[in-house]
Amino acid sequence: MLLRNVFTKTVRDLRWPTFWVSLGMGGMTGYFALLFPTYAKIVDLNAILEKMGPAAKLMGASLGDASTLIGFLHIELFSMILPALMVTYAAGMASGFTAGEESRGTIDVLLSYPVSRRRLVLEKTAAVVIGSMVAAVAVWIFAAAGAAASASDLPWDKLAAALAMLVLLGLAFGAIALAVSAATGNRGAAIGFAVGLMVVMYLVDALASIVDSLGVVRPLSLFRYYMGGDPLRNGISIPDASVLAAVAVAFLALALVLFERRDLAA
Amino acid sequence: MTSAIETSKLTKFYGKSRGVIDVDLLVETGQVFGFLGPNGSGKSTTIRVLLDLIRPTSGSARVLGLDAHRDRLEIDRRVSYVPGELSLYPELTGSQLLTYLANLKGGVDSAYRDSLIERLELDPSKRTKSLSRGNKQKVGLVAAFMSRPELLILDEPTAGLDPFVQLEFEHLCEEARDDGRTVFISSHQLPEVEHLCDRVGIIREGRLLAVETISSLKERALRRLEIEFAGPVEAETFGGLPGIIDIRMDGLVLHCTVQGSLDGLIKAAARFEVLNVRTVETSLEEIFMAYYGSGDAIPGAAKTGADDAGKEAGHAAA
Repeated sequence: MLLRNVFTKTVRDLRWPTFWVSLGMGGMTGYFALLFPTYAKIVDLNAILEKMGPAAKLMGASLGDASTLIGFLHIELFSMILPALMVTYAAGMASGFTAGEESRGTIDVLLSYPVSRRRLVLEKTAAVVIGSMVAAVAVWIFAAAGAAASASDLPWDKLAAALAMLVLLGLAFGAIALAVSAATGNRGAAIGFAVGLMVVMYLVDALASIVDSLGVVRPLSLFRYYMGGDPLRNGISIPDASVLAAVAVAFLALALVLFERRDLAA
Repeated sequence: MTSAIETSKLTKFYGKSRGVIDVDLLVETGQVFGFLGPNGSGKSTTIRVLLDLIRPTSGSARVLGLDAHRDRLEIDRRVSYVPGELSLYPELTGSQLLTYLANLKGGVDSAYRDSLIERLELDPSKRTKSLSRGNKQKVGLVAAFMSRPELLILDEPTAGLDPFVQLEFEHLCEEARDDGRTVFISSHQLPEVEHLCDRVGIIREGRLLAVETISSLKERALRRLEIEFAGPVEAETFGGLPGIIDIRMDGLVLHCTVQGSLDGLIKAAARFEVLNVRTVETSLEEIFMAYYGSGDAIPGAAKTGADDAGKEAGHAAA
């Protein structure tokens, strides 16, 4: 039943990666939510961060307040680990959509069926959008369960807002990976480029929070839009979300154009 | 009636390297057409342009009267393709893969699909990654035939098939042709398709050299003959005859190679007492090589009934 069309087939292809990334991200979040009260009693994380000064900012812990669960999750997970996992998942999957079929040689058969190149890319993209959302929902459920079990206060709407930004960040990098793979047919290059870009953008954003002169380049980093508005405290920022969504859509459109024009690898 | 395949001045370069140059190929509907050439001659390039997987540098291609690029989806509904390097989704079983492809095609007659699976003796329950090359090829052939397409484009379809499956494959092609459908087969192994094809096109180094019926190709056949005489005969007696190449006397036996009509040779030999004549019918492989040997197609050799003469001579004993 999952072999009806390219979309459902891709959902099928992504089911295990999605399961594992959901379990990994969700498990970590649930674990932190569960242990937060115990941890907060033993360690005064705010004091540690204070001592670390700028170094804490480099680790992305600039905005969190470690005395609340949501601030703790921000410092421990949302600043670095969750975006790294989400971006790697989305870029990893998206890079295989066309380039994976090309390198495996299955593209010749697939595109000899009445499936346009555009539809191929769009249906596969829809599958990774769903997969990213499944992972985000899993994180939310694990966090809520962990918070409930440890009787911690967790504003569920703010958490949902941050997860929405996380999904958008993942999809933006996923679309970049998709465009590179659609243009080159090279999956490795696509993953490498997207993940490398993520690291650079992360560092730019983190350094810019310390070094004032970097302020001018900060808007170039997608991380600026991801956590810049502090969705864990303020809820979703429509302008920031729009920038991430626009980047995703723009690179998807670019991927469609580039893939449509190209000679496919034999 | 529109043609099944028609290319006009089709040219494809990959950067500076040659794909095909000025290919004018016409394949009528309702026939089995062999597209022959050695590896790297441009067969797959031509086919991949027909399927819009690559775009021509210049020239055009039409399939079933439709533009290969603009009308691709309509073409794909009516055409099946088995690539030369057939890759299947390794995680799917044969049966899952066929289900997926049938759905992409918009549905197929499942009873017919099952009969194909049975005829080719395919085990559809195995994951395709565990299949041998020949068994993968069977999956590809079932997928191609199950939608009863108007045109089948098969790139080196017989590679890896065992003789039984090969025979069944030939029956399938003949059935498709008898049904008025068209089969386009590429191969670098001429004997594998010669008895199957109505016409063949020969491509070398990216250029289409000739399109011929099998029988007219055979008219140009080089034949090797051995004529055994009762008494000594001078080799020179046969020297000036038209079409004779390579004469040698070995005792009382004349060994020679003839292109086209055997008439002159037979009449010259008839002046002596002949004990036996043996012909070694050359395979199309050798005709094929003759095409490759020279830069151009062999210019119009004898078009008489050399083929029949050859068969008769094959059993003659004076």
